[in-house]
Amino acid sequence: MPTNKPTGAQLVISTLKALGVDVLFGYPGGAIMPIYDALAGSGLRHILVRHEQGASFAADSYARATGRVGVCMATSGPGATNLITGIANAYMDSVPVVFITGQVATHLMGTDGFQEVDFLGLTLPVVKHSWLVRDAAQIPAILARAFAIAKEGRPGPVLVDIPKDVAASFVEASEMGELPAWTPAAPKADAIEAAKALIEQAKKPLLYIGGGVHMADADAEMRDFVERTGIPFVSTLKGLGTVSTYHDLHLGMLGMHGTRAGNMAVQETDLLIAVGARFDDRATGKLSAFAPHAKVIHFDIDPAEFHKNRRADVAILGDLKQALPALRPTMPDISDWVKLNKANKWQHRFKYDAPGKGVYAPALLKSLSEKAGKKFIVACDVGQHQMWVAQHCEFEQNRAHLTSGGSGAMGYGLPAGMGAKLGLPDHHVVTVSGDGSFMMNIQEMATLRRYGINLKIVLLDNSSLGLVRQWQELFYEENYSEIDLSDNPDFVEVAKAFGLSAFRITQRHEVEGAIDRLLAADAPTLLHVLIDPRENVWPLVPPGASNAEMMEERWDEPIDSY
Amino acid sequence: MSQSIHIEIDRLEGTLLRVLGLIERRGFHIDEIDLYDLGPDTRGLSVSVRPRDAGRNIDILGLQIDRLYGIKRLEQAPERAQTVRPNAEKLSA
Repeated sequence: MPTNKPTGAQLVISTLKALGVDVLFGYPGGAIMPIYDALAGSGLRHILVRHEQGASFAADSYARATGRVGVCMATSGPGATNLITGIANAYMDSVPVVFITGQVATHLMGTDGFQEVDFLGLTLPVVKHSWLVRDAAQIPAILARAFAIAKEGRPGPVLVDIPKDVAASFVEASEMGELPAWTPAAPKADAIEAAKALIEQAKKPLLYIGGGVHMADADAEMRDFVERTGIPFVSTLKGLGTVSTYHDLHLGMLGMHGTRAGNMAVQETDLLIAVGARFDDRATGKLSAFAPHAKVIHFDIDPAEFHKNRRADVAILGDLKQALPALRPTMPDISDWVKLNKANKWQHRFKYDAPGKGVYAPALLKSLSEKAGKKFIVACDVGQHQMWVAQHCEFEQNRAHLTSGGSGAMGYGLPAGMGAKLGLPDHHVVTVSGDGSFMMNIQEMATLRRYGINLKIVLLDNSSLGLVRQWQELFYEENYSEIDLSDNPDFVEVAKAFGLSAFRITQRHEVEGAIDRLLAADAPTLLHVLIDPRENVWPLVPPGASNAEMMEERWDEPIDSY
Repeated sequence: MSQSIHIEIDRLEGTLLRVLGLIERRGFHIDEIDLYDLGPDTRGLSVSVRPRDAGRNIDILGLQIDRLYGIKRLEQAPERAQTVRPNAEKLSA
């Protein structure tokens, strides 16, 4: 019967538009067909990926790169379960993404219907919040609340699961309604005073900058604090780039694959100032030996992070944009400490003159970031190449280093690069991947081709699962188990078959020309780099050891070409 | 030794499981549960929990529960051996 009333699905689309969504990522299927029906001709830009996991990672990186809420859609059952890795990834790294999934019709729920899974139940541990929508009239209010929750406080993923009959039902038009305004907590003055006192008494203060700073959009405040105080700093994997990695006081990443200078500073400091960092085990190493001489000041927006892994002497709850400017210590003389750290940084700097003629991946990555300049954004996969990017790439802006930190999800890199490039089309977005990771979402090259997304890909191919191989070499007595990928396909031919430009290098002297060619390309392009499978990531803190126990590079043999 | 947590939660789908799942995932045994009515929009939940190892802190658990949406009020009782059902009227006041 004709009606002027909107359907639940139409309310989904109109609400997304009202919320300012300009692009969303997804893949249709049975239970979400009413929503895709309403999507057609709506003006919303939908990116049809080739696997739902690709959509989840692309929405995640779009959010990380732009600071906006990412949006991702999939159907029920397998469509939804294919999102779970992406949802967990967004949860672990506190990324604001709204996931909208179709669900079987309400009368089929609980009957083991076709493509039915309890997606609300499956995702409970990895969402910030979730809804199963029972009443179409509530869709605008729920979606608006979902966007607000995804972004407010500590960001995170939110799920809205919509049964097919709810999406298809006609309802009286409803509106989002007024949302209660969320105001970030202002830091308490007594906590700021206590922190000030600790800093003024410190002889060896050190900043420990985490990903929470740029999630709070407090990069400028963080940079100002560093300039005002002159306190040296280390960064977590996700904190890299918050303050330029070229900064004189930057001691590098801390932790398992951190720099020696950074980890030495953590071991020596008498006051560790953690800003938007969560004392993750990859950063701390053996917790009881982490920063053993230090008092701790901990800034965070999430009170549940205080004292979780390390007790803080001063915990400052609230918005970093307010807290950092409020903290104005009169700095003691820390010149000897600064001098010591700068000397350590120089003495233990990375060296790029590895013997041999093969491509030395760290040198390639450093050069790539330098050539790409201020608008460089890297989307990493997970493995050795990820750690090399963190160690050797230079980042001058926040949101430039997109990496699956807490989750460590292989397959992130290619769709993440896609999402970032769609969000920031005027940037040099480069996916750095390994041959293991790349195969996990290789199908998204078709998405690059379809939409002409000018993403550049550097594929570092060591024909193995390099980081697993490295651990087997070092900690499992060279018992190499299931790490060989020497039967990889010809990645250049595969990329060409997907419609991308692609070329390969195998020798060190080809690197500079290849980077120039890659960055200058006006279409999605893959640079396939064959590297020595024996190359490892150094330094390395063995699992369970203190950050003081770092294993170092051994260039006993030349880097071979392959 | 068990400790008890008293929580007021909404009646929305998923809230109860969200709380109980979180308690187990964050490293606590659930020894006793009591769910009771506190009005049209609110349920009371008393949970007696025991840490799985010495590294688990009930204060941190409380903060992790408190950051869930659908939690209206949360209070922790001091360590004790037996769960005592709180006064529902008092909690809802």
